[in-house]
Amino acid sequence: MIEFKGLIKKFGNRTVLNGLDLIIREGEIVFILGTSGTGKSVLLKNIVGLMRPDEGEIWIDGEEVSRFSEDQYFSIRKKCGMVFQQPALFDSLTVFENIAFGLRRHFRLSEREVTDRVQLALKLVNIQGVEQKRPTQMSYGMQKRVSLARTIALQPKILLFDEPTTGLDPITTTVINHLIQDLSKQLKSTSIVVSHDMNCALSIADRIVVLDKGQIEAIGTPDELKKSQHPLVRDFLAEVLSL
Amino acid sequence: MISLFTETFLGVFRPPFRKKEFFQQLHFVANTSLAIIVFCVSFAAIVTILESSFHMKLVIQNDSMVPGFAAVLILRELAAIVTALLLASRIGAGYAAEIGSMQITEQIDALKMLGIDPINYLVVPRFLASIAGTMMLTVIANVFCLLSAILVSQLYLGFTFGMFISSMHRFVHFQDIIFSMIKGACFGAVIPIVASYFGFNCKQGAEGVGHATTNTVVLASIGIIVVDFILSYTFSHIY
Ligand SMILES: Nc1ncnc2c1ncn2[C@@H]1O[C@H](COP(=O)(O)OP(=O)(O)OP(=O)(O)O)[C@@H](O)[C@H]1O
Ligand SMILES: [Mg+2]
Repeated sequence: MIEFKGLIKKFGNRTVLNGLDLIIREGEIVFILGTSGTGKSVLLKNIVGLMRPDEGEIWIDGEEVSRFSEDQYFSIRKKCGMVFQQPALFDSLTVFENIAFGLRRHFRLSEREVTDRVQLALKLVNIQGVEQKRPTQMSYGMQKRVSLARTIALQPKILLFDEPTTGLDPITTTVINHLIQDLSKQLKSTSIVVSHDMNCALSIADRIVVLDKGQIEAIGTPDELKKSQHPLVRDFLAEVLSL
Repeated sequence: MISLFTETFLGVFRPPFRKKEFFQQLHFVANTSLAIIVFCVSFAAIVTILESSFHMKLVIQNDSMVPGFAAVLILRELAAIVTALLLASRIGAGYAAEIGSMQITEQIDALKMLGIDPINYLVVPRFLASIAGTMMLTVIANVFCLLSAILVSQLYLGFTFGMFISSMHRFVHFQDIIFSMIKGACFGAVIPIVASYFGFNCKQGAEGVGHATTNTVVLASIGIIVVDFILSYTFSHIY
């Protein structure tokens, strides 16, 4: 379970998260929607301590983590897998090494098992035969998928996706969205997905959160949101419902 | 930046020790910089000895002490500082751009997510490699400086090899070589710390990386010259 209590994050005198309260239950898939620059990425980074809140608390599985030291955070980060908004692949390593890096670090595996898990992860995101390529030799969409593979190979209990399908073709987008759903069923993991894809949010989210100006404007199950009269929510829905 | 330095320094003694990265970086610092450094310091030495001979002749009509002077100048200052300044632009800029772009493409964050301390993984190997590399290059630069000075003084100034050595003997002490290596090591420490500092604090975009590299070269060069002053001053009490 992840809980935010009165989370405030400022950059200089710009308040990005402004007293955010939210509870994410275990095993849930929560989608976070919001216009560009409302602080969605900042919120995700606060969970894993890559950014620290100025005020407020973050509780993960019964621990208040926001004042943790870097060393203490290791146990939290081990539980969490994060897919960054950018592919963020280590460009001095090959694709295989990129995915194997975390596997070797977090688990005691034989080389054979590492290879198997790397291949499985790549298969799940629908690319194969790129193991020996360097990230810089691949298109953005491919890098993005390798980045997903790198995270899911670790089978974390908490999955954080920052726009996993932005910039991907519609076919791959569908594959990835199903993957998110399958993973949370198989691993019973909690997933937080930042996305602009309302359509997909409505089909796989347990709950949807709409953020605006660092605060929660609307929250609810897909069905509840569909009935919402909130103007921002209607704007997000307009595109989907007109289809 | 001070806290970065302390963390790096402590990180040197903390496992894991990243031998592979260290040797990669050492190769980058030492091997690939060797040619340009030998080339530049040799010319700097030639200019120094020709100039000092010219002026000595002009003022005291005698340049017999020139080899000794030049050798002292080379060993105490020239070789170490020219090497360090060249490395500041070459590897300082390289490190800043590398770490800076890792920062803005979230690769540093991805490392942290895997529980890898970026200081241990990125800075410590570079720090050690830069210290070792700069020290080695300083020694090599000293040798080449002296060789080219000897060569030029034989060809143009009419000193024989023996004359050069005996003139050198009167001025140069063994400590000079040690001090020059210490200088090299300290300069070598400055470069990666400054570069990593600007790299980690890199702002988004190509412009951010540009700023990080420029600032690194400027501040590392200033840092090297200040450290040089402090060390020369300290050593002057020990001679
Ligand atoms: N490291 C930082 N330093 C200063 N300001 C930052 C930093 N990171 C984010 N911000 C600011 O915080 C705000 C929210 O950024 P964030 O990246 O969370 O937006 P987002 O909701 O993820 O948008 P997008 O959909 O475009 O990814 C932005 O206005 C941005 O300028
Ligand atoms: Mg974002």
